[in-house]
Amino acid sequence: MNTQKVIAGFFIILAMTLNFGFFYGDIDNFAHHSPYELFATIVVNLIATILKLGDKTQLGSVLLATSLVADIQLLSASIVWGLSEYVATNGIADSAQIIVSLSGGALMANIVSVILFMSDTIKSKR
Amino acid sequence: MEHSNNILWIIIRRMRTPFLVIIITFSITILGLVLIPGVDNQGHTYYMSFFDAFYFVSFMASTIGFGEVPYEFTYAQRMWVLFSIYISVIGWFYAIGTLVALIQDQKLLTELKISKFSKKIKSLKEPFVIILGYNHTTKELIHRLSQDGKRIVVIDRDQEKIDELELENFIPEVYAIQGDITTPDILRLAGITKRNCKAIISLFDSDFKNTKIALISKLLNKNLNIIVKSTTKEQTEHLKNLGIKNIIDPFHLVSNRFSLALKAPNLWTIEMIIFEHNIYIHEYKPLPKGKYIICGYGRMGKALKEALDEANTESSFIDLKSAAHKATKKSTIFGDAEDYKTLIEAGVKEAKAIVAATKDDLINLTILLTARKINPDIYTIGRENTLDDITVFNSAKIDRVYILEEVISEHVHRLVSMPLSYLFLKELHKQDDEWGKELLARIRKKTNYQPEIFEIRVVKSQANALTDYLKSGNSMNLGLLARSLSNREKRAQIIFLIIKNRKEQITLIPDDNFEVKVSDRILIAATPEAKDDFISIVNNYNDFYYILTGKEYKFGIFKYLVKDEKKDEK
Repeated sequence: MNTQKVIAGFFIILAMTLNFGFFYGDIDNFAHHSPYELFATIVVNLIATILKLGDKTQLGSVLLATSLVADIQLLSASIVWGLSEYVATNGIADSAQIIVSLSGGALMANIVSVILFMSDTIKSKR
Repeated sequence: MEHSNNILWIIIRRMRTPFLVIIITFSITILGLVLIPGVDNQGHTYYMSFFDAFYFVSFMASTIGFGEVPYEFTYAQRMWVLFSIYISVIGWFYAIGTLVALIQDQKLLTELKISKFSKKIKSLKEPFVIILGYNHTTKELIHRLSQDGKRIVVIDRDQEKIDELELENFIPEVYAIQGDITTPDILRLAGITKRNCKAIISLFDSDFKNTKIALISKLLNKNLNIIVKSTTKEQTEHLKNLGIKNIIDPFHLVSNRFSLALKAPNLWTIEMIIFEHNIYIHEYKPLPKGKYIICGYGRMGKALKEALDEANTESSFIDLKSAAHKATKKSTIFGDAEDYKTLIEAGVKEAKAIVAATKDDLINLTILLTARKINPDIYTIGRENTLDDITVFNSAKIDRVYILEEVISEHVHRLVSMPLSYLFLKELHKQDDEWGKELLARIRKKTNYQPEIFEIRVVKSQANALTDYLKSGNSMNLGLLARSLSNREKRAQIIFLIIKNRKEQITLIPDDNFEVKVSDRILIAATPEAKDDFISIVNNYNDFYYILTGKEYKFGIFKYLVKDEKKDEK
């Protein structure tokens, strides 16, 4: 067992599951989308990104790219949330669709990341 | 590209843990603030939003501290903040500390240097030469080549040497890098595979190293001019088998020069002129005929012995090894009672000349001085190993000094900068002394003092006007080009030494009727004024026109305004 692999795998998969948890639910109903879950998703995604840094292989670079995509999507979702809550005048309900669909995009990136990670594991002989 | 990637790689690798620590401390403190209930101005319970918490933690962690927002904190919140301050400050310090350590990191600095060097090599568009190792010989060589405007890249194993080189401030800039010379990677980095890399020069003392470099270079770039030093015949043979053409054997060169000086002093003088030694100023005494004594029977001594045999000159040996001498006598001075005896036994009193050819300069010098004490008329010839000791040898008034380092550097310089002069010397060695006497007389008459030797190729970049003229179907002979620019009736003080045409055919000392063709290479000896004139004539249309017609070239409106002076037409 490779400790590094366990940690990396844990965070990569956790990023996807949390992301899914936030995304799941009615797209315009905020009761289904907890801000705590978004926060956790962002933190775990950032950690996963850092863990993927510095892998020089082809697969490592693609994994990093998917993580960066997820980060950008999630961070923009949180920025939209903040803006609509404190800056915009027409209330937060209007932005729910944007925030949730952004996190949906991040989910796609995370799924790709997990698939890549699994394929690498399956290929590995040890 | 590869090396700038390396820099990024090192930074990322080192910054991974600090980044993780910062993200984790931030998320813990933010989450805590969001979960702990606070009290607003009206006394209602409220929870901080993520935005409030992120805002507060951002300025708290960086110790800016704007106060408690949005409302004053409760004690529970303050306890959490107190804890947060400590963990976040530790996180930041860790990150900053790692970054500072990274800036001073030796590995990163090396990578930075390599990437800077590689960028320079990439942007180098002119032809350049790679020189391996920075020492007295190559320093001298770099000086010579820099004067000709050649671009040079130097690799040395020692960073100190590289620093030393950078302090020299060569113009144009000499690019230098530290690295293990015998690895292909560093040679590739120095641009050995580039098309404009013209030559690689390896002049190490170790023959093994030179051969290894020659082999690697040959494999990396087939078209490269590889110049290596070799000090034994076996080694030279070995290198020849590898297909290396330019092998510098300093002992062989000295021996050749020595035998030339004995057999054909006129040819020797011409050779000295080609190497631009100031023979008229130094007033070299010719080598005497008679018995020679050689002290030191190493590679140098053997080479000189061969030269003497070739010239049918009697010689005897004193087998003296500098290392053994130093060990037994515990001194680097030759000249105690025993040494006197050795010299007298070898026949110093009757000998005409003595050669000191050991590896140690001080021993060489004292041998010669001791010999001179016994026989004041003896002709003294010394081997000088390093250029450092040159002033000592000069002030001791040794009749002739062979400086190995200088011999090497001047030969390599000719090979790189003026290959035609090297060819000329080869031809010169085939001629007899009568031929040399005649040529020398011409050189003396035409350019009564030290002539300048230069090489020109009939191409657009070096002879603009002449090339255009020839390309439009005209013919031109050397006699016409060798005119004085102040008066075309007069011949300039210029001698054409050798011409090599496109088909590698050689004409030694071409006469005035020789017709110049495009892409001919010409080696010329001329006074400095004649050299300037010649270069103007072949490049400048106006000067070329004057030489052709005797008239000033007039362009545009001047054609109609200025009338020809009629004096030429009589």
